[in-house]
Amino acid sequence: MSWSMVMEHLFMVLLAVLFTIALGVPLGVCAYCFKPLRRVVLWSVEILQTIPAMALLGIIMVFLGAGKATVVIGLLLYALMPVVQNTCLGLTEVDPGVREVARGMGMMRFYRLLHVEMPIAIPYIFTGIRIAVVISVGVAVFATFVGGGGIGRAIYQAIRVHDVPTIISSTFTLMLMAIGLDTVMALAEKRLYSRFSPAEK
Amino acid sequence: MTDFLEIYGRQIAQAAGTHLYYVLLSVAIAFAVSLTLGILLSRAPRWANIILPLLSLFQTVPGIVFIGLLFLAIGIVPATIIIALAIYAIFPILKNTYVGIIEVDESYREAAKGCGMSALQALIRVELPLALPAIISGLRMSLVYTVSWAVLAAMIGLGGLGDLIFAGISSNNNALILAGALPAALMAILCSLGIDLLRGILIPRPLRRDVL
Amino acid sequence: MIRFEHVSKSYGGTLVLDDLSFEIAPGQLAVLIGPSGCGKTTTLKTINRLIETDKGDIYVNGRSIARLNKVELRCSIGYVIQQIGLFPHMTVEQNICVVPKLLKYSKERCQKITHEMLELVKMPYEEYAHKYPNQLSGGQQQRIGVLRALAASPPIVLMDEPFGALDPMTRLVLQEEVRRLQQKLNKTIVFVTHDMDEALTMADTVIFMEKGRIVQMASPDEMLRNPASDLICSFMGKRSLNNQHLPQTVADIMRDKVVTVTKDHGVRASVELMSRKNIDTLILTNADGSYAGVVSVDRIKRSGKGYKTVEPLMNRGYPFSYEDEDGQVAFDKLIDGGVNYVVVLRRDRTVAGIVTKTSMARSMAEAVWGNGE
Ligand SMILES: Nc1ncnc2c1ncn2[C@@H]1O[C@H](COP(=O)(O)OP(=O)(O)OP(=O)(O)O)[C@@H](O)[C@H]1O
Ligand SMILES: [Mg+2]
Repeated sequence: MSWSMVMEHLFMVLLAVLFTIALGVPLGVCAYCFKPLRRVVLWSVEILQTIPAMALLGIIMVFLGAGKATVVIGLLLYALMPVVQNTCLGLTEVDPGVREVARGMGMMRFYRLLHVEMPIAIPYIFTGIRIAVVISVGVAVFATFVGGGGIGRAIYQAIRVHDVPTIISSTFTLMLMAIGLDTVMALAEKRLYSRFSPAEK
Repeated sequence: MTDFLEIYGRQIAQAAGTHLYYVLLSVAIAFAVSLTLGILLSRAPRWANIILPLLSLFQTVPGIVFIGLLFLAIGIVPATIIIALAIYAIFPILKNTYVGIIEVDESYREAAKGCGMSALQALIRVELPLALPAIISGLRMSLVYTVSWAVLAAMIGLGGLGDLIFAGISSNNNALILAGALPAALMAILCSLGIDLLRGILIPRPLRRDVL
Repeated sequence: MIRFEHVSKSYGGTLVLDDLSFEIAPGQLAVLIGPSGCGKTTTLKTINRLIETDKGDIYVNGRSIARLNKVELRCSIGYVIQQIGLFPHMTVEQNICVVPKLLKYSKERCQKITHEMLELVKMPYEEYAHKYPNQLSGGQQQRIGVLRALAASPPIVLMDEPFGALDPMTRLVLQEEVRRLQQKLNKTIVFVTHDMDEALTMADTVIFMEKGRIVQMASPDEMLRNPASDLICSFMGKRSLNNQHLPQTVADIMRDKVVTVTKDHGVRASVELMSRKNIDTLILTNADGSYAGVVSVDRIKRSGKGYKTVEPLMNRGYPFSYEDEDGQVAFDKLIDGGVNYVVVLRRDRTVAGIVTKTSMARSMAEAVWGNGE
């Protein structure tokens, strides 16, 4: 296992998570705003996560060929579910009374979404993103089979040459990465709160 | 399409059979083990506070590691993949069983006791039925994961749908990749639907609760 | 039926039940009441051994429960809890039949029991037996909770604040129903509550507990008449006939703001004063402030001409009583004397006030309904 493999892994994960957020949050908002869409969207992302990661990567590879693009797209699709679900769930979690009051005050739909519903949904969205990060770190191990490299490659090679110490150390690196990213996210979340709601400290 | 099926049909059927065999056997083992362990842990919450965090840590270990290590320890026999998959499948069921039982409201437990149920009767008639939704969703998670990780059986030459995918990737044969990937995807989705069906049969309506 | 003999229980050094001894007769509805944390629930749970005692014995039907099989004991004692605790995964019928099933009754017998039970609370079998608890209202759920406790016809039923979570109307209806069932089926019921109204309406015997001890065990009437402590008084609030507001002495029923003048007051000035205050008599005092007598406006009108002061017109024999005398003395004088009021004097013969019919009625009303604060 080399440093570059770790960075490769991290790079794929972070890129994929960025895309997941960029796609997942709006998708969740859409699912919340347009009731008829909700079932379809939630069902689709669930199906995506049900598909075996290796099969998903294989199918994408048929279209995009081997390489990091395949991996990133695969991770993005795979990690979509928690983000979309939690966004939608968080938005529906707004107290009906609060929603009623907001409407009564004559807030427009979009304004309401931004200023009333979003702030309440944010903790849920954060949780979704954190789950997505952990999932991505694990699934990115498959990258090695579709030409993406990363820590998976180190593990795969170590298995082939019967190098148990490397398998173990790679595994630890993976776990550390998952825990580390999760901790960073947790800190970021706290920061965000203390900025937006100083009164709640 | 017919060509495709003619060429790969048999191969797909065989690979899917192996795949399903691995999955069902390992999940069955995992289910029996984790249900027992989950129940035992729920009797000793003090232990659970140590074991469960360890388990969720373990769950971040990719399945490939278990498969790899067992392969090195046991060699190329079906037991390797079955044990590896079973170990991996234990976590979600165990965790959900334990949490499901522990979260049964104290008032039901007290009512059961007050009605004169023994500890075993309370477990079977009250706690397990109330934990069933959680247990079943753990089972679903395990099943879906296992279908996914079983693809790696091919990595150590033990067949399954992964065979087709890996062969397709290494020979740059898209049709072959799809011949493995699509049935694998289908199998996972069908497993998930199967669990939904099971849920519908086993869980009385008032306990069914859709989040969204 | 249920007898506690020197029962004690402590949790980590704090005594929760402190040497309890009492007996509940068969067919009685005994209510345990007292402030939060006084050990009501603990007492109740020791009866079906959900909690084991440290010291002392509990006898049910003359047999020490410590020597009975726990499961058998519990099957012979119905148990209803505040959270209702109907099993959500079981239908109404299954819930009712939990204990009969544990006792291995046949299917037909279970079904018959369900019919009978639902009959008792007028919930038609066809409509309710196959519903799940979450399809019932809170009141219906607790009815089923009570039926579940009654299903195997246990002679004893324990109820721990069974109606605590219900709205007041439903509560009243269920109190009535439980009372009716208890009498009809001749059960011995131990009922925990911290609502004195509930205790007084339902109980044959009220057991008032405080800090793990029994302060008073009495019938509701007796407790109302002779509450054993201030705490019980405050629990009963305005219902008690014997709390601090109860008028006992004359001072309790008099009004203390009265107009007095010395007996050398001028006649004209007295009439003016009476008309200004809108009263028809004045209380007169001697120069040293002691009571002298009264003078009425009528008397002045009839024979006041020619007098300068009111002294010659004064009625010295007007009824009076002392403020520390029994209220009844003043009451009798007021009613029998055919007067409008009775003058109340202190022991030094200074004027303390008067008792009128209105002042008496008001203080009685305060005692019965509270002083409206
Ligand atoms: N398991 C326990 N461990 C330690 N202390 C306990 C335990 N159960 C009860 N206690 C204490 O024993 C005392 C009596 O409790 P109990 O539940 O009998 O009160 P209660 O009269 O039913 O009060 P409430 O009206 O609030 O239900 C309380 O001070 C409580 O804190
Ligand atoms: Mg209590």
